[in-house]
Amino acid sequence: MSAVETAASSARRGPDADRVLTFVCVGLPLLGLTLFFLYPMAVVFLRSVTVGDGYGFENYSRVLGSSGFWRATLHSMLMGGATTALSVLLGFIIAHGLHRCAFPGKWMIRGVIVLPLLAPSLVQALGLIFLLGRNGVISRALGIEIEIYGFWGLLIANTLYALPQAVMIIGAALVLLDARAYEAAEVMGASPSRQFRDLTLPAARFGLLNAAFVCFTITITDFGNAAVIGGDYSVLATEIYSQVVGQRNFNMGAVVGIMLLLPTVVSYAIERQAMKRQQTGQATGQVLYRPDFAPLRDIVMAALSLLICAAIVAVIGIVVYASFVTLWPYNMALSPKHYDIRLAGGYSSLWITIVISLMAASGGTLAVFLLGLGLRRLPRGAAQAIQMLAAMPAAVPGMVLGLAYILTFNSTATPLYLLYGTAALIAIINFYHYHTQSFLTLMTGFRQLPQALEEAAGSIGAGLGRTAIDIVAPFIAPMLVSVFFFLFMRSMVTLSAVVFLTTPDLSVAAVTIMRLDDAGLTSQAAAFSTCVMAVVCLALLSMKAILALMGRRRRTKGAA
Amino acid sequence: MYLTVRNATKTYGPFTALDSVSIEIEQGEFVCLLGPSGCGKTTLLRLIAGLSRLDGGDILLEGAALSDLPARKRGFGIVFQSYSLFPNMTVAENIGYGLKIRGTSRSEMARRVAELLELVKLPDVADKYPGQLSGGQQQRIALARAIAVDPRLLLLDEPLSALDAKVRAELRGEILHVQRTLGIPTLMVTHDQEEALALADKIICMNHGVVVQAGTPEDLYQRPKTRFVAEFMGISNLLSTDAVRRAFPALLATRPEGPDDRVVACLRPEQIGLIPAPDGSATATVRGISFLGNLRRLEVDSAVGPLIVETHGAAPCREGDRVTLSIAPEACTWVADDMARQMAESPA
Repeated sequence: MSAVETAASSARRGPDADRVLTFVCVGLPLLGLTLFFLYPMAVVFLRSVTVGDGYGFENYSRVLGSSGFWRATLHSMLMGGATTALSVLLGFIIAHGLHRCAFPGKWMIRGVIVLPLLAPSLVQALGLIFLLGRNGVISRALGIEIEIYGFWGLLIANTLYALPQAVMIIGAALVLLDARAYEAAEVMGASPSRQFRDLTLPAARFGLLNAAFVCFTITITDFGNAAVIGGDYSVLATEIYSQVVGQRNFNMGAVVGIMLLLPTVVSYAIERQAMKRQQTGQATGQVLYRPDFAPLRDIVMAALSLLICAAIVAVIGIVVYASFVTLWPYNMALSPKHYDIRLAGGYSSLWITIVISLMAASGGTLAVFLLGLGLRRLPRGAAQAIQMLAAMPAAVPGMVLGLAYILTFNSTATPLYLLYGTAALIAIINFYHYHTQSFLTLMTGFRQLPQALEEAAGSIGAGLGRTAIDIVAPFIAPMLVSVFFFLFMRSMVTLSAVVFLTTPDLSVAAVTIMRLDDAGLTSQAAAFSTCVMAVVCLALLSMKAILALMGRRRRTKGAA
Repeated sequence: MYLTVRNATKTYGPFTALDSVSIEIEQGEFVCLLGPSGCGKTTLLRLIAGLSRLDGGDILLEGAALSDLPARKRGFGIVFQSYSLFPNMTVAENIGYGLKIRGTSRSEMARRVAELLELVKLPDVADKYPGQLSGGQQQRIALARAIAVDPRLLLLDEPLSALDAKVRAELRGEILHVQRTLGIPTLMVTHDQEEALALADKIICMNHGVVVQAGTPEDLYQRPKTRFVAEFMGISNLLSTDAVRRAFPALLATRPEGPDDRVVACLRPEQIGLIPAPDGSATATVRGISFLGNLRRLEVDSAVGPLIVETHGAAPCREGDRVTLSIAPEACTWVADDMARQMAESPA
């Protein structure tokens, strides 16, 4: 028997190792998506139609018949619309300034603009209270009383929170437009304003649309800002919370959750379409646009950008500052006493949150890596179906997912009950909450990996496992690092998904901040927020350092 | 026979990429799969490599079926058009990767890598990364990586297509040298007939998912069986039976029996002689002359339409000269007119 025959017969005897591995790669993440996304979503839907011992739509008619629900819906839509308009406008100003204008200090703007992402969303609200609240520095300095709780406060807080996303999305769209297009227009005699109208705006069109839907979704699904500064201005997210936590009415909460799901699903579907349209316009071999200094345009844009950044710095900075003030606003001497937190378990929730975030980041990165790896080896149809499923969680608001989890895992009907009240479950919900972004980030990495590289490894004799470790992982390492830190940082600050899952024994940082603020310990809430921001900043800096190091190593290897 | 492909069939939805293709490769032979893009040659190579699966037929290596064996267990080497070196590994690590998988000792690996770098004439790049090499150098390393594991079959998928003309010619010689030195049976896919003529022991010419003709380079060039092969393998003058009967009746001697539209006469440009004929006996006029360095290409208007003639050495005539044509009857090859039939089948 020749070597070939031996190998061939052994291949026939058992299932091929690569097939088994592919099956595992796809099967495990798929099982996870089923258990921790599809199943809870089914449960929340069933609960919304559960009436007594049977099923029916009475819950819906009750909710739809209540004026409170319609008020919250109207508020959510108004707030979503206003925030979207404001943050897309401001986002476009900054993105345009960064990519289409020439002025110094852009690095500072880039740095400041991400600040709101590094903190739990309620930090914007806290900052506004320290600035514009009854005891706020601005209110006191001007001697006026501003009613910051309610629409206006929430609008500013939400805008600051949505702004980084708007800047990134619009900026990405602007970068795509090649410098040669501007040069051609210039040669043909188009004035700067014409170039803006005919080149810049059309290029940013899908970016603007995309940013609008993202901002809208972020706003109507956010809980933290609404809880802290919303006051009597009830929105859908706070409505779910009051149904579930206030009135212990899970079925009604589920109904409101499903109603909140509708606009986010529609918004997300449109956003995905807009993104696809934008990507088809991409070309290789781009020449980056380098604007020349145009005084009128650039000074105005720089001033506007600076103003927006100043607002962000003021809101975040005041929180850090206030955390050191002895007794706001009566004794402004600095002291570290607010960092001695004893209420709500002290710092234990911070350590637990770090552990949870590490779990979510490592487990999540591994899961999406396996899935991406396996999908490359599946038939097209199956791969596309799974990709669609993997992209679904982004359409589900954190509040709804959290509600789905408590309904699913706090029920003794299945052995999944064992997970309830564990840190693992919080890590799991964080991962599935941000599953889509992680998955899509990694898939862009996988798309850049040439098929021939894996085929070359395969024909030399490397199996799937070896190829994954030796070839694929090093190739997409920067994406793996990005996904890891993305999951870590989001897990550190997220509130909406986990607010229902914390127990007296197990709390996370963002929930502790909310509890401290509820208890009137605003300065301690500020201190705790500062600690969280410090951890997340550290993570962000580590990520930048690692990516820069990788980039340098790649450059020395001469890879493009 | 070393490698036998029997009735290989591969379809993608309604599209038949390979329609019952059979080919053979002997031990030590260099075989080229030649054809226009979309003819199925790369599909066939990928089936042999095990990178895609057969829908029908068999692939046998030394008589044993390969069909169930995954690519990594076939023990072949492959070189792609896009180089496809692992960007995260040095040149030495790239070449040694297959040996590492096979558990070769470190010292043996280093020895073998050095030997292979010597063979592809790049002894000093062991510690560089692929991104630091030129395209031609990368492709040499890809070749070294493919042969490092003593492959039972070397597969080359358009390995020269991404390179510029000078490097391509150099590397072509390099590939032939390596293949001859090691005697590895080799299958190369190319759409460049010149490349195939220069390298192959045997050329398999494909079109529309079937093998049109297989044979030595001389066979395909001088004795094409069909009009497609004649036109694909360099420049040819193709004349209908009717035209030959009117202008060169002597050539009808070698014509096979059959209706007029079945076959056409193929005359290679270098097989037509030009004799200056200032007197009334001239049958043709020289319309244009292009100087191509080693030869001159002449366009001639004749009774049967325009013909292309190539001559070496000094030009026998100038533009506008009246000439007579001399063609030896044995220089004419009658080929099946497969193109006409195809056109009849698909009116588009």
